[in-house]
Amino acid sequence: MNLRIEALAEVSYVIPEGRLDFDAAPGFQEAVERVLGGAGKAPAAVIIDGAALEYVSSAGLRAFLLIARAAQRAGTSFALCALQPAVRDVFELSGFSSIIAVHADRATALAQAHQGRA
Amino acid sequence: MTVQRTAVPADAAQLSVLNQFLREFWTAAALAPAGMRPFELVLEEIFMNIIMHGSQPGIAPQVEVSLMLAGDAVTMTVEDDGTQFDPLSLPPPDVTASLADRRVGGLGVFLVRKMMDTVSYARIAGRNQLRMSKRLDG
Repeated sequence: MNLRIEALAEVSYVIPEGRLDFDAAPGFQEAVERVLGGAGKAPAAVIIDGAALEYVSSAGLRAFLLIARAAQRAGTSFALCALQPAVRDVFELSGFSSIIAVHADRATALAQAHQGRA
Repeated sequence: MTVQRTAVPADAAQLSVLNQFLREFWTAAALAPAGMRPFELVLEEIFMNIIMHGSQPGIAPQVEVSLMLAGDAVTMTVEDDGTQFDPLSLPPPDVTASLADRRVGGLGVFLVRKMMDTVSYARIAGRNQLRMSKRLDG
């Protein structure tokens, strides 16, 4: 899995590309936690842009759960957006969409983050 | 009716071999790619479960996967010669728990049950057998 990070002033976008399976999940979690703990100061918001995320298994869900908790500890709002249908299904079936905010696109995710509700 | 079969040792590095097997079956049967996603997920969850629960020190179980297309339903059967383990006996996770209380254990099997139309476990001649079916476009 490839991972791109776009760090802006108040929000960091994380863009995973490919498969978030048992093999990719630990590295993904570490990378996002580095963004959260980053150079001294945590960003106000971290948003995962899922447009290129093709697959998430329970190992990937575990990573998202641990990242969401780390974000909460850091006082950073955390959300996902632009999930592909198959990935959105996994989030909904597992009930994760009730504990991690999932938005249609970056603009919506960012607006919600600014209102402190992401 | 199309049936294909493959076998690998229960080693995480072999998941890519099983995924390739699934893709080849799907292509050979000329099925719509979107319908493969649930089976891909189920394959990872079940295979990783066997590695976690079925292995003994120094001995990796053999895992045999077969895929069958009959009518508009695909059936995946996963058999292993590891420790007796019925994944369907795991208690379901609480999928309504809060972020702080949420546990991930059992989530894989929970997803398997949700994604498939039918899931059944049997212990046959010293082997675990898990059979999962799903109608396509349904």
